Amino acid sequence: MTRDDAIGTTEPNLAAHVDATFTADGADPFDVDAELSVSPGETLVILGPSGSGKTLLLESIAGFYPHDGHVTLGDRDITDAPPEDRTFGFVFQDYALFPHMTVRENVAFGQRYRDSSRDPADLLRDLRVADLAARSPPTLSGGERQRVALARALAVDPDAILLDEPLSALDVPTRESLREDLTDVLADVTAVYVTHNRTTARALGDRIAVMRDGRIVQTGTPDEIFDDPASAFVARFTGANVFELTDLPDDVAIPADAVLGDHDGLVAIRPEYVVFDPEEPVATGEIVRVVREDAGYRATIRVGDAAIDAHSRGPPRGETIGIGFHPGRLRPVER
Amino acid sequence: MSHSSSAGRRRLPLLLAVATVQVVAFALAYVADQPTLYAAFMLLSAVALAYGARGGLAGAAAALLGTVLLIALAFPLLLFAARQDPALVLEKLGDPGVHRMLYLSIYAPLLAAVFALLTGVPLAYLLSKGFPGSELVQSLVDLPLVVPHSVAGIIILFGFGPRGAFPQLSILGTMVGAVLAMTFVSAPFAVNSTREAFESLDRRVEHAARIHGATSFETFRRISFPLAARGILTGGVLAWARAVSEFGAVAVVAYTIRFFYPPAGQTVRAAHAPVFIFQEYLTGSLESSGAVAFILLVVSIAIFLVIRSVAQDGGRVL
Repeated sequence: MTRDDAIGTTEPNLAAHVDATFTADGADPFDVDAELSVSPGETLVILGPSGSGKTLLLESIAGFYPHDGHVTLGDRDITDAPPEDRTFGFVFQDYALFPHMTVRENVAFGQRYRDSSRDPADLLRDLRVADLAARSPPTLSGGERQRVALARALAVDPDAILLDEPLSALDVPTRESLREDLTDVLADVTAVYVTHNRTTARALGDRIAVMRDGRIVQTGTPDEIFDDPASAFVARFTGANVFELTDLPDDVAIPADAVLGDHDGLVAIRPEYVVFDPEEPVATGEIVRVVREDAGYRATIRVGDAAIDAHSRGPPRGETIGIGFHPGRLRPVER
Repeated sequence: MSHSSSAGRRRLPLLLAVATVQVVAFALAYVADQPTLYAAFMLLSAVALAYGARGGLAGAAAALLGTVLLIALAFPLLLFAARQDPALVLEKLGDPGVHRMLYLSIYAPLLAAVFALLTGVPLAYLLSKGFPGSELVQSLVDLPLVVPHSVAGIIILFGFGPRGAFPQLSILGTMVGAVLAMTFVSAPFAVNSTREAFESLDRRVEHAARIHGATSFETFRRISFPLAARGILTGGVLAWARAVSEFGAVAVVAYTIRFFYPPAGQTVRAAHAPVFIFQEYLTGSLESSGAVAFILLVVSIAIFLVIRSVAQDGGRVL
């Protein structure tokens, strides 16, 4: 759904163009020039490496920094509105709970200023932290704090919720557990979710916008971003193999259906579409590295001058192995 | 910290032993009327303790140099306390003039500290956020730290005297003048301590308040101010202590001060403690001025300890 489709609905639709130059002490000025729109109920994930400007973009939308550009929420132009009038909820990477208030006071904080039908006790229960209501934030674990922060953001019944890497400070089991709950929470709220973690982006995003150097370089559904990256940067950042066709040995015959469209020879393919040890290999190469992952192994195979990752059964390093490519999965990418 | 507490418990007997040895050594040197011997003992014991704590030669050298400074700071204080004549101190304690001086010397600095906080906290908040020209304003705030205090008094007379900004304001020898002089010299402590407290706040916590509906004033009232309260209180205590100890500016503006004294139910005249003690030293003796100074010192330390224990009550301030 585009922004225009949402006009006339009662739910908010967030559209923002942020154009600003940020200067930090001792650092070069950093330009952010990014445009995004989020449909009602949609979760847009902004995915990008550290320093790509995604947090600055989110905080500019929230109204923490002035910028040239515009922000609309529903039918309201909130470009010049102070943060308190923007009707957002915000979840910070480092929680930013009020340390001198109890958990219950933290969650109820915004209800003094905003009309909300959400009951803080219900929110705490839904987020499985009801028993912490009387506790003080400094006594909580990271995962507990982030659940409280999420409850605080939802308690104001926000028109859209902004989340800045809410999982990145958490250990892996806590992160996975909270990610599952976030899937439910974000199912029917309008959300912009900033992360550098592609797994989180794929799990939570209805759409993903990939950000680099203050610009959004590709927007699409998770499948579009992961399976059809527009550039070598997006491909590498989402975990795909990127190599030159000319890096492969001359005797490797790429199947005719493997490469789509015109290109200058740079291609990308996800490791899961590289067939490990098929009956009729397209190429052979030496396994130069094997990494143990959650569900199996990922082998790096040196084929000519290209290093290609594939899910493997875990044969040892040094073995020569054949590989193939799923039909149509070898995609041309821009440099 | 849990992992240092067991070591801390083991350290307590050692601390008591060291303290006992020091008290005995000081008492022996004092009774023998050879205080120099105790200074030497302090140096030797510091070196021995540092070496014994596996500080090595570098640790022993650091302890030696540090103790030289400690001797300069603590030795006069020790001798000052030890040489007081209890009868003279008691006599001064019963002197109504001393009572008036003590009342004035606690009350006037309190007014100055409250005034410095009332006006300084908002300024410190603005300085912590930064604004065009904030460096210039900060320099102005720091100016009293480098101006000789008698000069500060002269400046105040020029600024607020008969030909100053408020000619109808009577400052020569008045409470208003004394409080102005004290505020001038103590405000930097109130502002800077408060500014540092605001600067150490997590900006995101303030952002969190704003984005969930609080205006900038509500954010200040419910978030920034309570979280900075400890630093603000510290600033107030520092300003108060600085005002109590002010001599130069007060001596110039209000050598003696007319003020309403509740126990007498009338307006009386007295001098601020540092001026009073200086007068006592000039007209009386070292012993009598020392006794008054001793009383002032004990009262000041008691007030400081009370404020500190209130501030630390339950780990929460205010």
